[in-house]
Amino acid sequence: MATTSPHKVTELLLDWSNGNQAALDRLMPLVDRELHRLAHHYMRRENAGHTLQTTALVNEAYLRLVDQKRMHWKNRAHFFALSAQLMRRILVDHARKCKYAKRGGDAQRISFDEVMAVSSERGADLIALDDALEKLAVIDLRKSRVVELRFFGGLSVEETAEALSVSPLTVKRDWKMAKAWLYNSLSNET
Amino acid sequence: MKPERWQKIDELFHAAVERNDGERAAFLNDACAGDESLRKQVEALLAGHEQAGSFIESPAMEVEARGVAADPENKEAELANGETVSHYRIISPLGSGGMGDVYLAQDTVLSRQVALKLLPENFTRDRERLHRFQQEARAASALNHPNIITIYEIGLVEGRHFIAIEFIDGQTLRQNFFGDGSHTSGKQLRLRDVLDIAIQTADALAAAHEAGIVHRDIKPENIMVRRRDGYVKVLDFGLAKLAEGAVDSEAPTRAQVKTSVGVVMGTVTYMSPEQARGEPVDARTDVWSLGVVLYELVAGCVPFKRSTQSEVIASILEREPPPLARYASEVPPELERIVIKALTKDREARYQTAKDLLVDLRRLRQRLDVEAEIERTAEPEKGREEKAVATGNEQTAAVTAQAAGVATKDTAVTHSASPAKWITLNKRGALILISGLVVASVVAYFAYSRYAAGIKAGTIRRVAVLPFANKSGNPDMDYLSDGISESLINSLSQLPGVTVIARNSSFTYKGKEADAQEVANALGVEGLLTGRVTQSGDNLLISVELMDARDKTQVWGQQYNRKSSDLLAVQAEISQEIADRLRLKLTGAERQQLGKLPTENLKAFQYYMQGRGYAHRRTREDSLASIRYCEKAIEEDRNYALAYAGLADAYITLGSRSYIAPQEGRRKAEEAAHKALALDENLAEAHAALGSFYVTFAPYNFLLSDRELRRAIELSPSLAMAYQFLGVSLARRGRLDEGLEELLKARELDPLSSIIARSTGLPYYLKRDYGRALELLRQANELGPAFTTVWEIGVYTHNRLFDEALAELEKAKQERKDDPLLIFSTGMVYAAQGKRAEALQIIKELEGVSGASLSQAQYVAKIYAALNERELALTWMERSLAAGAIGAFFKDEQVWDPIRSDRRFGDLLRRMGVTP
Repeated sequence: MATTSPHKVTELLLDWSNGNQAALDRLMPLVDRELHRLAHHYMRRENAGHTLQTTALVNEAYLRLVDQKRMHWKNRAHFFALSAQLMRRILVDHARKCKYAKRGGDAQRISFDEVMAVSSERGADLIALDDALEKLAVIDLRKSRVVELRFFGGLSVEETAEALSVSPLTVKRDWKMAKAWLYNSLSNET
Repeated sequence: MKPERWQKIDELFHAAVERNDGERAAFLNDACAGDESLRKQVEALLAGHEQAGSFIESPAMEVEARGVAADPENKEAELANGETVSHYRIISPLGSGGMGDVYLAQDTVLSRQVALKLLPENFTRDRERLHRFQQEARAASALNHPNIITIYEIGLVEGRHFIAIEFIDGQTLRQNFFGDGSHTSGKQLRLRDVLDIAIQTADALAAAHEAGIVHRDIKPENIMVRRRDGYVKVLDFGLAKLAEGAVDSEAPTRAQVKTSVGVVMGTVTYMSPEQARGEPVDARTDVWSLGVVLYELVAGCVPFKRSTQSEVIASILEREPPPLARYASEVPPELERIVIKALTKDREARYQTAKDLLVDLRRLRQRLDVEAEIERTAEPEKGREEKAVATGNEQTAAVTAQAAGVATKDTAVTHSASPAKWITLNKRGALILISGLVVASVVAYFAYSRYAAGIKAGTIRRVAVLPFANKSGNPDMDYLSDGISESLINSLSQLPGVTVIARNSSFTYKGKEADAQEVANALGVEGLLTGRVTQSGDNLLISVELMDARDKTQVWGQQYNRKSSDLLAVQAEISQEIADRLRLKLTGAERQQLGKLPTENLKAFQYYMQGRGYAHRRTREDSLASIRYCEKAIEEDRNYALAYAGLADAYITLGSRSYIAPQEGRRKAEEAAHKALALDENLAEAHAALGSFYVTFAPYNFLLSDRELRRAIELSPSLAMAYQFLGVSLARRGRLDEGLEELLKARELDPLSSIIARSTGLPYYLKRDYGRALELLRQANELGPAFTTVWEIGVYTHNRLFDEALAELEKAKQERKDDPLLIFSTGMVYAAQGKRAEALQIIKELEGVSGASLSQAQYVAKIYAALNERELALTWMERSLAAGAIGAFFKDEQVWDPIRSDRRFGDLLRRMGVTP
């Protein structure tokens, strides 16, 4: 299995944190691969009852990919912000697959859905939320990012603020409004 | 929705939320001033806010996981009092832990009370849980120590796994001192009691470690204090595992799985750095965790206190805990030292065994007892005593103690020393604390400079040449200062081993005062080359400075005072000097190349520069202007190869977007590119233009294109556009990740170019990651100038934001009248909306614009494809190819999905030079 050298990820993360936007796009596939791997690893495990936390998973990815000694906590916030985006995709893709699998009757069950595929309804919620979030992004990108970081990335208000370079107060306000908007958006659809 | 409108809603929403129910209606009435729709929108949000409750409050992953936890299967009916399990009769529940519920029970055979730990049925179905349970039992049973709880029996009855444990009438440290985990308001312990607990725990661990058992989960919940005598009992060796038994092929994976389970199930607060990293753990992990407990006992709060688990883990790995003295002023420095040593992140530098920790703790307790005794017996000589202690010399203290004739052995006698007895140590504590802080800062300082040196990596690898300032007092002389900067960029770009930011990005800073560090960050460079040019009469004064932006130091600076006629020579000199300063090893040929100028005619150069300025936005008008200026440049200098390359580039744009007949664009672009190469075979830009030409008009020739583009990169490793063309070419073929990689290289070289930034969105668009694509397109627009693209409209359309898409198109049309791309995009929106008649009307319109050249044929085909008119879509693609009119084509575009599986589409692709 190809492994990603911590050195490379570390460099890219530092570059990105220093404002080099291009580094992000190099970084993304590397982190994505690792998160996918880990997510599948966790999801595949047969231990129902083990709760799976985004932060634990993302943190593991962080620990595996990044040379801690060279990191500042702000770099970490950036990493988590990036991971939130990727986790969103992983979770939503997964929800889609589960939904598809359900629809296909007793078509072959996806091997890693023990933890995740609690119900197809919940999966559908996630997909609907994702769609609504995309729409929100068009109207107000920052609010959608706040939701992405907090809901999909499991970041705290402070971490979110750091990742978006805004104040925690702004994050709280954005969150409040976005939550109401998304809630309405989802309620109207059903 | 208009941004202003949204902003207004945002404001009103927050203003209204803060008002109570009674005031809201009046407030909104007032604020909306009759705008009913505004009022409705705000009210809807307020209603949403009221109803949303815990909606999305728990992170997505946890929501999913909670579904499992909420599963009734996982809820175990509590055993009723009086019920029996094997020969144990349940008396009362004691609590529940991560591994199951615990009951106080009566052993009816041996007539004693036991703690009965019962694993829920569904837990024992899980092999790993069961295994862990049995491990705990085995490991604990193997130990025989007064501070380790005794296991009586491990059993299985009617499918129920249970474990009978010695019942301790007491409380865990958590219950006793820390309350419910809020940690801060817990009861303050006397220092002596703290030491007693720590010593007994360390003793238990030392014994376990000797037996090869690592606890792995030391925390206040697992340390009990017996009410009767204060005896400490360490519980729950559930995670313990025979250390030497861990050597098998799966060990690393297992350790990681264990850790992940630990992360998930318990608290991370007491986790050692190596545990957090998922590395295999050993006895030293227990030392760490005990260090955390010890810290918490003294300080009243944990050393790595954060609001989320991930932050806790990060601080475990990265942060040093605040000194204990911050929380407890009377902490003996020696205790501070012990805690710091136990909490050393590098386990090699930590206490190597619990025994070592135990020895230090015991010694400290003994010394404090002695000192307390001295104080008690030598009250009149207190001043002298303190002085002796203040030297920090233990020997002195001990000698004084002996001289005072105090018994030093019997520590048990002073068991209940009052806290007051520690107070005398305060001053010395403060002294040592201060020096400790100084040392800590010095260490931190060195650590930082080492870190900084690491980043610096010695040399400058990325440089931006900022436009030189024209200090002649005559704006007409800008061409001179700009020209010098541009030449330096061109010549330095050819240097191997150094990356030079493209002119387009550097020149954003023309005439601007900006902080060096900010500029360097924005451009992603370490080095900035700046300069000033003053011309008076025939004299030319150029001052140049190379600066390391990381620490704002000047790496090199020089003034050149020459005749204007020597300009070329000066430029060559500067380039070579810079190469030397950057410690680049150049071959003779490379050195020579550095001195070369694309043109010696500064006027021609100025026209060229203006022409390139227009190449930034790919509108018809801008591209035509770009061509005009390149032609003017060529009029000035017939042999100006670079201007021909610029011409080729502009024709490619015009033709590929059907701003002129694609056939014409194709012919003129090819001609100009070949002309440029004929004039200068080593001109990277010319190779890039030709390479781009080969993949702009179908049928494509990827082979030749790759060759030309690679050659361009070889000639000028910092030539952003070459990477950009290569990236787009790869994207055409569906090699999206590779394409992205190249586009990102381009963006690194030209970070402020909106065109390149825009093109990085393309692979994402093709991957159908429309969110990310939109983000990048917006970033590009922020870099300016804003430019509505087909892709942006595509993102809106795919998200079914039709109104927004149409509004955006209307806006763009005001500026770009009759732009076929905008007309086409409108058609695509209609098609997606299912407005068939309107879409067909657009097709008519396109046919009208297109005329005989069929330049819009591909667009027509796309709209038909979007309308699911497979036959018509294929027919129009065929027409388009036959007319040589297919410009920008990407096989992965979603619009082709309806005809993708059609054999004829695959055939068409092959004839276009694209592998289906």
